[in-house]
Amino acid sequence: MINSRLRKPKTKWQKRKERIRNTWRLFKETKVGLIGIGILLFFTIMAFSSFIPPRIDEMYIPLYGADPDIITISSPSLKHFLGTDSMGRDLFSQLLEGSKWALIIGVTAATVSVVLSTVVGLVSGYYGGVVDVLLQRTAEVVMTLPGFPLIVIIGSLLRGVSIWNIVVLISLLGWPGASKVIRAQVLSLKERPFIDSARVCGASNFRVVFRHIAPNILPLSFLYMTFGVTGAILMEAALSFIGLGDPTTVSWGMMLQWCYRSGFIYKAPFWVLPPGLCITLLALAFYLIGMGTEQIINPRLRKR
Amino acid sequence: MSMAKYIARRSVEILMLMFVIATLTFLLFRLMPSDPMGIQIDPYRTPEEVQMMREVWGLDKSLPEQYTLFMKNTLRGEFGRSYYWGKDVYGIIREKLPPTVLLFTTMTVMSFSVGMYVGRIIAWRRGGKLEYGSTVTGMFLFSMPGFWICLLAIWVFSFKLGLFPLGGMKTDMLWVASANTPLIIKALDIGYHMFLPLTVGVVISFPGTMLMMKNVMLETLGEDYITTAKAKGLSEKVIRDHHAARNVMLPMVTVLTLSLVGSIGGSMIIETIFCWPGLGAEFLSAAMNYDYPVAQGAFIIMAALLLVALLITEILYAYLDPRIRY
Repeated sequence: MINSRLRKPKTKWQKRKERIRNTWRLFKETKVGLIGIGILLFFTIMAFSSFIPPRIDEMYIPLYGADPDIITISSPSLKHFLGTDSMGRDLFSQLLEGSKWALIIGVTAATVSVVLSTVVGLVSGYYGGVVDVLLQRTAEVVMTLPGFPLIVIIGSLLRGVSIWNIVVLISLLGWPGASKVIRAQVLSLKERPFIDSARVCGASNFRVVFRHIAPNILPLSFLYMTFGVTGAILMEAALSFIGLGDPTTVSWGMMLQWCYRSGFIYKAPFWVLPPGLCITLLALAFYLIGMGTEQIINPRLRKR
Repeated sequence: MSMAKYIARRSVEILMLMFVIATLTFLLFRLMPSDPMGIQIDPYRTPEEVQMMREVWGLDKSLPEQYTLFMKNTLRGEFGRSYYWGKDVYGIIREKLPPTVLLFTTMTVMSFSVGMYVGRIIAWRRGGKLEYGSTVTGMFLFSMPGFWICLLAIWVFSFKLGLFPLGGMKTDMLWVASANTPLIIKALDIGYHMFLPLTVGVVISFPGTMLMMKNVMLETLGEDYITTAKAKGLSEKVIRDHHAARNVMLPMVTVLTLSLVGSIGGSMIIETIFCWPGLGAEFLSAAMNYDYPVAQGAFIIMAALLLVALLITEILYAYLDPRIRY
């Protein structure tokens, strides 16, 4: 202790680096988080390689490229690793394209919704009063709205939705849960001494909220974001499957929908199994990362 | 505050919420860019005819007028006439509601009891193989898309093994008037058809409850009063069931409330895939066919049922937690 005090004071960057290293060490210890990162890495590689097959040959274009030799469904072969669908499109390149869209949809929807819930939680917890009541009532109403049926109705009224509409709808309906937890945390944080000292030093409300309270909230936000990604991926898959997806986007849910609609659902396991497995694994990955984060944030969950 | 007063207050709040949801539904359907006339008009109709249809449907009135009419009709249970079936929406809902209530209620009660039971046991034996195994299984099931589990279940148990019907709610032969089937056979028939959707529904929704129960239970087990109970020399079973599990009930009721809202969507998909003649499946197909009166009516009824369920759980909550009542 004494030694470290005598040493040169650490710069901001050194401190930050050290903190990140510590967090990573804790995260590695959780194992579940590490497995999650591994799966996520796998799907990220898949997503980034989605542009390769179409470059090799036009028949590998996921949406409209068809093998001229096979214009119908075919089992896995050397030319098509996972076979082709009923229109002769390559299922493997569809799977790659699907992982790209799953990541985009999941991460965007979860990020937007978590930013919303963080801001609402911060404002509502810190300012209190009328603002708090209004925001919390809104959150309660949104929470009790049956989200899935609502999206279905909106989708039907708009006569089909684009992928970005789906993202917006998922994030607009997903913020209240996390915002309640964040608000509770803000309520306890704002009574701590360091907030008082910041205020005594003349910090404005805005500065206190975003410079002093927000950094303490961010780990919690990240936690809810990971769970949000799981929810968004599953929601998009379900919407696409029932036929409300974006027909110009090749997502895993869409692949299953095409399979269901074309009547091969109980006949072509090579068509049904891979997309479902991918959805499961990617959703699981984010869930596991969330669990790892939770164990860092909440020391009571760590192994004793 | 007494229990009665609490229930009264919550009922009023829930009623207000219902009002808000009905208003939102109205606005949603009126302010969307699609014109309700669009689906009915063919290009050979004269403008006068179109105008007449608008008047018949009340679309020529101003928005506030439409709103009061809508509210009045909703309160009376009148949701108009289906574009697709040409039947009264009220009749359709009355026909489709019982199967949904049967399936959904059984599913919720079963998945919640199974989840709580397993969660309690694995939290108590934490660190063991049982906990590890069921947590991993639970997480896998939790991350699987529900419709995919349905498809796999039908594929394996109905299509390959032929153990269960592919879908539907009853064998029509037994239900025609001339068959004269005894009631018990009819009930068994429905049970036979319900087995697979019910099992799949429970498999889809119990892991969430189980994992939550485990987490909450683990937190409770760290509390001081559990240590006290142990120090008093109470038996394991008494501590588990009477000290820990009872306190866990409170947060779990909150979870139940939220999972109810979430499982509505899941049960709609289950109904659709298993051809269960319920409100959820009807709602989905109505939305797909742009049959707005049915979609609107079904949505309002589902929201109302959901709110009633919420009210019941809240009363349960008040019953469990004296701090709310007094």
